[in-house]
Amino acid sequence: MASRCQFENNNEVGVFAKLTNAYCLTALGGSENFYSVFEAELADHIPVVKTSIAGTRLVGRLTVGNKNGLLLPNTTTDQEMMHIRNSLPDEIVVQRIDERLNSLGNCIACNDYVALIHPDIDKETEELVADVLGVEVFRQSIAGNTLIGSYCAFSNQGGMVAPSVSVEDLDELSSLLQVPLVAGTVNRGSDVVGAGMVVNDWAAFCGLDTTATELSVLESVFKLRDAQPSDIVKEMRASLIDSLA
Amino acid sequence: MPLYSFKTIQIVPTSKDFIDIVLSRTQRQTPTVVHNGWAINRIRQFYMRKVKFTATNWHEKLTKILEDFPKVDDVHPFYADLLNVLYDRDHYKLALGQLHMARSLIDKVAQDYVRLLKYGDSLYRCKELKRAAMGRMCTVMKKQGPSLAYLEQVRQHMSRLPSIDPNTRTLLVCGYPNVGKSSFMNKVTRADVDVQPYAFTTKSLFVGHMDHRYLRWQVIDTPGLLDRPLEERNTIEMQSITALAHLRAAVLYIVDISEQCGFTIAQQAALFHAIKPLFANKPLLVVVNKTDVVALDALAPEDRAVLDEMAAEAARASGAPAGEGALLQMSTLREEGVMAVKQAACDQLLASRVEQKLQGKRIQDVAHRMHVAVPAPRDGMARPPVIPPGVAAARARRDAGDKRRTEKDVQEEQGGAGVYSADLRKGYQLKSDEWKYDILPEIIDGHNVLDFVDADIEARLEALEREEDALAAAAALEAEEMEEDHLTPEQLATLEEIRARKGAIVKAHRMKKAVANNQAVLPRRADAERTATTRNMKSALERMGLDAGAAVARARSRSQSRVGRKRARSAAASAGASAAMDVDGQPPKKRVHSSKSRSMSRGRSLSMAAPAEGKGLKDAAQRNRAVKMGDRAQRRMGKAARRGEGDRHIPDLKPKHLFSGKRGIGKTDRR
Repeated sequence: MASRCQFENNNEVGVFAKLTNAYCLTALGGSENFYSVFEAELADHIPVVKTSIAGTRLVGRLTVGNKNGLLLPNTTTDQEMMHIRNSLPDEIVVQRIDERLNSLGNCIACNDYVALIHPDIDKETEELVADVLGVEVFRQSIAGNTLIGSYCAFSNQGGMVAPSVSVEDLDELSSLLQVPLVAGTVNRGSDVVGAGMVVNDWAAFCGLDTTATELSVLESVFKLRDAQPSDIVKEMRASLIDSLA
Repeated sequence: MPLYSFKTIQIVPTSKDFIDIVLSRTQRQTPTVVHNGWAINRIRQFYMRKVKFTATNWHEKLTKILEDFPKVDDVHPFYADLLNVLYDRDHYKLALGQLHMARSLIDKVAQDYVRLLKYGDSLYRCKELKRAAMGRMCTVMKKQGPSLAYLEQVRQHMSRLPSIDPNTRTLLVCGYPNVGKSSFMNKVTRADVDVQPYAFTTKSLFVGHMDHRYLRWQVIDTPGLLDRPLEERNTIEMQSITALAHLRAAVLYIVDISEQCGFTIAQQAALFHAIKPLFANKPLLVVVNKTDVVALDALAPEDRAVLDEMAAEAARASGAPAGEGALLQMSTLREEGVMAVKQAACDQLLASRVEQKLQGKRIQDVAHRMHVAVPAPRDGMARPPVIPPGVAAARARRDAGDKRRTEKDVQEEQGGAGVYSADLRKGYQLKSDEWKYDILPEIIDGHNVLDFVDADIEARLEALEREEDALAAAAALEAEEMEEDHLTPEQLATLEEIRARKGAIVKAHRMKKAVANNQAVLPRRADAERTATTRNMKSALERMGLDAGAAVARARSRSQSRVGRKRARSAAASAGASAAMDVDGQPPKKRVHSSKSRSMSRGRSLSMAAPAEGKGLKDAAQRNRAVKMGDRAQRRMGKAARRGEGDRHIPDLKPKHLFSGKRGIGKTDRR
């Protein structure tokens, strides 16, 4: 099920939240509105944690994680780390890593089985990603963009990448990730899909500006609410052609 | 998103207002003070500026109007025709053309009069020329009164036009008056169009919006049409015709089968066939309305035949295969079939639009967006989704209305955002819930507690220390390599001396620092340690083999007090002076006459030679008397120390009383 929300009038949901199948981190805001959107949808199943990272609200861009673990940048304070550690179940490994490219959310994209990382990331970090998150790691870029975490978002069920990706690249990425992929936008045409939305295997959250067409593509490709990726080429094709071309 | 900004056109003032606006602007924004005594060039400039400023103002304002109003030839043909129908294209173009003409006339007038002003030979003539120039400009604009009034009317009407996007997905509802067009519109959108039981309730185009298949659709309600030739149609009907002619929309031709609207089915069919050319190449549906009064099946066979013929015609016009698809029935009163009609119309239009877009070029740019990359399995590993078991049940509960009490609800109960402070520790997952609110020290004995949470921290620290020891040992081994044994005794002595000097410097520095830390800051000259003494300087200089006598003498002389000591002359001068003093034995006599001494102290202007002594006087006695008289005249002034005409005088350039305080007329710098 996909919901629309905003963080303090900002549509870039993926910047202020990090969603995985085992937990959800949201930024500390001036009110509980943003947090409660996640809480209402997820709190019955997984912990939803309000936190800051390195004193900032850019929780989604600075961290990366999946059901096995959570990687934090070296700028995370001890107090934040202790708060996250206390809030998450013990089987989730929380690890702070010394990586020069410290906005991990922008440089790494992952689901529970595969991770794509920025080509310039350290060897040690690559090993840590593989060990802590328990995933296969591939160094990749998306249509010339090395900030892989900003330009794609994927779960175990499907994925969406920036609209500039060609069909061949899409097929290649799909065979790496082993999930169906589609090139699309969120937030009324924004191509930073990773920063514009968060998704896990049963829920997705995107900005309030997201159009109905974008939302339905998103629900289909991530197989939310019984939709299937093939709907995009079957039932929604006419609407897509009319709104895009 | 509006395609044209008809709503942002600025108000067009009447000619009288227009003149007032521009002239008062000139008065306010150009200088107003001119004097007869000014150089004639300055006076000409003054008036030229006024004329030019006024002309520029007119020009700008007229240009704004000309740019704001849409050009009939540039806008979408639908709007071009609508403007023609509503405002009469010729009249509209003429009004704008006249404003354009007025603009160039005003420019010409300004040019002419600025040229004439160059030959103005007095303030009066220049002023009259300016008056004439402004007068002629105002006359030109006064003549534009009707055009301006008309354009203002047009502007007001245009700003109320519905913002119809001619290119988007559109459903167009048309038919005879009172057949239920507006009722249909009200059912499918939230436009809330007025519905009344008389003809021509809808007098202009109305727009509503709806969602269907993830897209936004525009529904246009048109005024009713009567079956008569095009030339006889009125403005209201012509708007419908314009919309039908130019919008690429799905057309819903509504037929009232109850004939309650006052027109028979045959008449309605006749209209349909009359305006058939307007339906070409558009998805067209014949919609039978008011089936709650008369059912379609209960219709007389001849009427039914007429309807079937219309449906067949509609199918032919829209290029679809003939069949039942083009004839739909609904009842807006009972809301039966309305959604089916909407869906059929939308689907037909979408299909035709997609077909058209597939033939265009832009489809190539977005083709990859319609592609879903399905992975080819690269290994035998299964990657199942990880969904907690309760998700579906929880969602069903929520859909059934079982709302979870969220933090937001708590926040609203406890004073709202900014007042409510959320409990961050509420969700902690610890072994015992009692630990949740334990206060944990961050630092103990100068150590960061969280640095020691690792279980194996001791072992790791030990390993690190071992490594460090090994490194230190290696460094020490390296240092031992540098031995002092191979130095000669002289070199050793030098080394000792260097070390001693270094030690002394360090010691002195430390002492200085200690002193500075305990005492107030003293000037450098105070020299707390008394190292910069003359003795030290002397010994240091002598050590270097220099004669310290002169330096010491100078230092001594500087340390003596200057009070009571006269400025000495240089050696040569003092030698000469002492020689002279030897002759007289006493200093030179003081001058007696004050006037003389004053004149000597004053710097003489070099451009004039000093007057010869006693020039203009008869003899020495007369000269002496003159000197005495001069002295006497000065005496009183001198005694009272009064100001004389020879004294330096600085006039008060800004007398305070003239420059401070508020004036009744609001100025401080004019009287």
